[in-house]
Amino acid sequence: MQERIAFYEDMKAYNQLFLLLSGGIFRFTYSLVKSNEVAEEIVSDVFIKLWQIKDRLPEIENLKVYLYTIAKNFSLNYINKHYKNTVVSLDGLDVETIDLNSPAEMCVSADLVQQIRKVIRQLPPQCRLIFQMVKEDGLRYKEVAAILDISPLTVRNQLAIAIKKIGESLPVYLQSGFTMVSRFSHS
Amino acid sequence: MQGEQITQEDRFWLLVSLKLAGEATPEELAELETFLQQRPEMGLRMEMLNGFWLGEPEDQGRRNDALNRHLQRLSNHLSTPTLNYEAAMATEEAPAPLPVETHTRGIYRLLWPIVGIAAAIALIFFISHRPESIKNERVEQVAENTISTKPGSKSKIQLPDGSQVWLNADSRITYNETFRGPFREVQITGEAYFDIAKDKDHPFIIHANSIDVRVLGTSLNIRSYANEKNTEAVLIRGSIEVTLRSSPDKKIILQPNEKLVVQNGKAVVVKGMPSVQKYEDAPVMTLGKAHIQPKDTIAMDILWVKNKLAFDHETLEEVARKIERWYAVKVNIPDERLKHVEYSGVFEDESLRQVMEALRWTGNFRYSINKREVTITP
Repeated sequence: MQERIAFYEDMKAYNQLFLLLSGGIFRFTYSLVKSNEVAEEIVSDVFIKLWQIKDRLPEIENLKVYLYTIAKNFSLNYINKHYKNTVVSLDGLDVETIDLNSPAEMCVSADLVQQIRKVIRQLPPQCRLIFQMVKEDGLRYKEVAAILDISPLTVRNQLAIAIKKIGESLPVYLQSGFTMVSRFSHS
Repeated sequence: MQGEQITQEDRFWLLVSLKLAGEATPEELAELETFLQQRPEMGLRMEMLNGFWLGEPEDQGRRNDALNRHLQRLSNHLSTPTLNYEAAMATEEAPAPLPVETHTRGIYRLLWPIVGIAAAIALIFFISHRPESIKNERVEQVAENTISTKPGSKSKIQLPDGSQVWLNADSRITYNETFRGPFREVQITGEAYFDIAKDKDHPFIIHANSIDVRVLGTSLNIRSYANEKNTEAVLIRGSIEVTLRSSPDKKIILQPNEKLVVQNGKAVVVKGMPSVQKYEDAPVMTLGKAHIQPKDTIAMDILWVKNKLAFDHETLEEVARKIERWYAVKVNIPDERLKHVEYSGVFEDESLRQVMEALRWTGNFRYSINKREVTITP
C-alpha cells in the first residue's frame, strides 16, 4: 500500500496516515464500543501501537486491515473488561453505527436521508457494520472479510441485502403497475 | 414466475451494491446497464442510492483536532506504563505478529510477594515545552529551542533533521532553532537516548557536561546529570567519536555496545593513558562493555526508553538518584554505610512503594514514605 511508502521514521507520513484512516477506524470502533471517548482513545492507542512497531511495517501485508484488526481486538478487550459478558468474536455483539454523512447530491432530500437512515438502523448488526465499512471507509470486500474474520462472499451478500433494503424503501416516481406488483410480492 | 422475478431483482440489487462498492467486474457493469434499459424506473432509485452513497467528504477539521489530541498522547506515551489493552491483546488473533512486551522479571520482582499486582505507575507527566515537531507553526523567532522534562516525566521529541530524542526525567536539550549550518549541534543536561538521522555532510555533535560526542548516524545514550559524578556515553549502533572538553586533542572512538564513563569536573586524560585502560581508584575515564540484558537483548543503559527502571550494580546512593527522578520524590539516606551497597534489578510498571518494598527485601533496611519524601534507615 502506498501509505507505507516513506513511513520509516517519517512523522509527516504518519500524520497523513492518521488523517486518512483514523476516521474510518473511529467509526468502526464506535460501532463496537458505543462511546465517543472510548473510541477516540482506542483509535489513539491503535496509532500509538503503529508508532511502536514502525520498524516492522514492511512485514505487514495490508496495513489498513492490520489497523482495523488491532482496533477490533482493543474494542473486544475493552468490552470484555467493562461488561461482564465475555465476547470472543463479533457474532452476537450488537453494533451501533454512526449516522452517516449527509449526501451532497441535491437529488436526495433531507426527508429521504432520514428515511434511509431509518432503514439502515433496522438492518441486522453485522449487515449494518459491513455497510458502513464499505461505504464510509471505502474498504474492499476482501479487507472487510479479513477484519471481521468472515468470508468475502458473506460481505458481498450482506452488502447486497443492505442495498436491496435501502433501494426498495426509495420511492419510484415512474410508478407502473409492474413495479407495484413487484413491491407487493415481497410483503 | 413471481419467484423468478424476485431473484431477478435480488440480482439487480447485488449488481448495484457491487457497483457502489467498486467491486463490479466489467461484465457485471454491462449486465447492470442491460437491466436498466429494460427497467428504466429502477434507474432513479439507483441514482438516489448513488447520491446517498457518495455523501460528503469527511470534516477534515475534526480529523485534524483528533490528530492533535492523538499526537499529544503519543508524545506522552513513554510515560504511560503500557497500553491499557496490550496485556489482553496477546490472546487475540491478529494477521501479523503483534509485538508483545516481554515481561522483565528482575531479581526483585521474584522476591516481591504479591507478584502479579499490576499497579500502574502514577506518573504525573508534564512537558514544560511542547516538542517543536508537533507544533508545525512556529510563532516566535527565537534563536534556541529548549525542551525539558520534570522529575517523574519523560518525553520523546523529533529534531528538525528527523533525529529522534528520548528525554529521560529531569533532563534538558537545547538546540539552535534552525538546526542549519555545517554541524547539527545539541546541548544536553540529564539523560537522553538519541537515534540520529544519517547525514554525512552535517555531523551531529552532542555537548554534554564534560564531553563532546561527534556522530554521523547512529543511536546512543548520553547520561550527564549535573548532580552525578560521572558522564556516560553508551553506543548502541554505528560509531561515535568522543572528545573530552578538557583535552580536545584526544579522541576516543566507541564501538557498538561500548560504554564510556568520564568523571565530571576533573576530566583530564592522564598523559599516555590508553583509552581502554581502567584505573584502580577514582578513574578519570573508563571504557568498557555495556551490560546487555539477556531477555531484551538491549543494553541496561537504555531500558528507561522502554519505560523500565533499571539498576545495574548501582549503589543505593545512585539508585536513590534514579528513584528521585523517576518518581519525582526526594530520597534521604542519613546512614553513610547504606549508601554504598550495590543493587541490580529491573522494574516495569511498579509503584514507588513496590520498588521500595523490593529493595527493602534484599537490602535489609527500613524506609518510610512521607508525602513525596522517602527516608531509608538501617
